[in-house]
Amino acid sequence: MTAAATAELVTADLPVLEMVRPMPGFPDHRRFTLVRLDDEGLLCSLTSLDEPGLRFLVVPPDRFFPDYAPEVDDDVVADLELDGDSEVLLLVVLTAGGSLAATTANLAAPVLVNAGTRRAGQIVLDEPGLPVAAPLLG
Amino acid sequence: MVLGEDITITILEVRGDVVRVGIDAPRSLKVHRAELLVQLEQSNRQAASPADEVVADLTRALGSTGGTGGTGGTAGPGEPTAPSAPRPE
Repeated sequence: MTAAATAELVTADLPVLEMVRPMPGFPDHRRFTLVRLDDEGLLCSLTSLDEPGLRFLVVPPDRFFPDYAPEVDDDVVADLELDGDSEVLLLVVLTAGGSLAATTANLAAPVLVNAGTRRAGQIVLDEPGLPVAAPLLG
Repeated sequence: MVLGEDITITILEVRGDVVRVGIDAPRSLKVHRAELLVQLEQSNRQAASPADEVVADLTRALGSTGGTGGTGGTAGPGEPTAPSAPRPE
């Protein structure tokens, strides 16, 4: 994505996510937006508004990992300003291979978005045994 | 190594240059966490900015895994809309 395209994104009426918990390895990248890539809204691009060209592929995990039900602690609830009425997006970051079979998802640190306040973060879960690179297709 | 309060390091064995230590932490996950963070950084760097062709391939592949099927509607790829969110229970 070029700088001009990023500028267009910002001026358009798009949800700007504020990463209150930045992604490991990208501590200074705080502003992102979500761009739908397919018609179904399954594959999205978590696109940086701070750095042109930086983006991550994310999907809601339930299609591929129906039993995945991460729990987050109170610190996360506070940081994301979650309450009982909050609408939360749960997304996992994909490391893309050339095909679905070669693509993996990070279940150890999902991205959570408070859809109402746009506060978001990549949350390092406290659960040992969750893979950083889980194959999408078992 | 990430250490916090109440962590006890015990010298288990000294053999020449080699010192074996035991780490007694109230939450051994604290030590694990440092290693996990390194893994996550690496994973994110690998995941960052996949090539356009790869993204196109995946978009196509996901479109053919089923679901309600594409209607070819008015929304083109790259349309900036947030995905629908599951309601919390």
